[in-house]
Amino acid sequence: MKKALILLGCPESPAQTPLAIYTTYKLTEMGYLVTVACTPSAKKLIEVADPAEHYLKNKMDIETCLDGLEEGLYDLLIGFVHKDAAVSYFVTFYHILNCKSLAVVFHRDPEKLEYFEKTVQENTEAETVSARAYHNPTPIRVRLDRALKKLEEL
Amino acid sequence: MFCLDTYLRESEDYQIHMSRAGFKDCARFIEDKAPEVVHVKPGEKIVGARVIGLPPVPIGINEEKGTIILPYTKPCYGTAVVEIPVPSEEREKIREKKIG
Repeated sequence: MKKALILLGCPESPAQTPLAIYTTYKLTEMGYLVTVACTPSAKKLIEVADPAEHYLKNKMDIETCLDGLEEGLYDLLIGFVHKDAAVSYFVTFYHILNCKSLAVVFHRDPEKLEYFEKTVQENTEAETVSARAYHNPTPIRVRLDRALKKLEEL
Repeated sequence: MFCLDTYLRESEDYQIHMSRAGFKDCARFIEDKAPEVVHVKPGEKIVGARVIGLPPVPIGINEEKGTIILPYTKPCYGTAVVEIPVPSEEREKIREKKIG
């Protein structure tokens, strides 16, 4: 079974938790075994939103995940990028895993959005999707759907 | 074995030069201020912790003070520049990880 790792940053942006659950659902439908690497607070948000682990079964602390990360452990990396630190984490995970990768970049400030997307593109060969989003996950969800469809067709 | 996370939790013998900053600003600080700079790959283990950042990640070495200066990133707090004393064998291990 193909394995996917979803990398969650700081859960400050309200769009992140629903997007994480939605992406897990979509990837599971595509036949991936999904693991989410996240901060303790991001994990609590997911646990409250999905108490019976209907969607998300495998959650891992981001630092523990990073410590044991090796090339070949996952077939796909999807990172949610909405802070400078999230860019650094995504780029680091990308260079360790060296697998097919997608950065989902979102922010409400257009300048930061452009900077984060450009920095990911300059430092990786990952696919990127980006949209202005904060409370409303729909703009980024639409682009994520397109990217996942493209991934499925490969 | 030296472990950065444990060290920062348990010791007061370290200096924070920048905090809650962007990675690029922290990298520039290290490049400008450290007497010796070694560049490593993101994810490389430096003093027991994987270093996080954009490639190539600069690690400063101050042989005279017996310290290293490195970026330290946490998801919710951004990147800091931390200077910590490390044994000479750890400084040598960092030099062995030099890229480029």
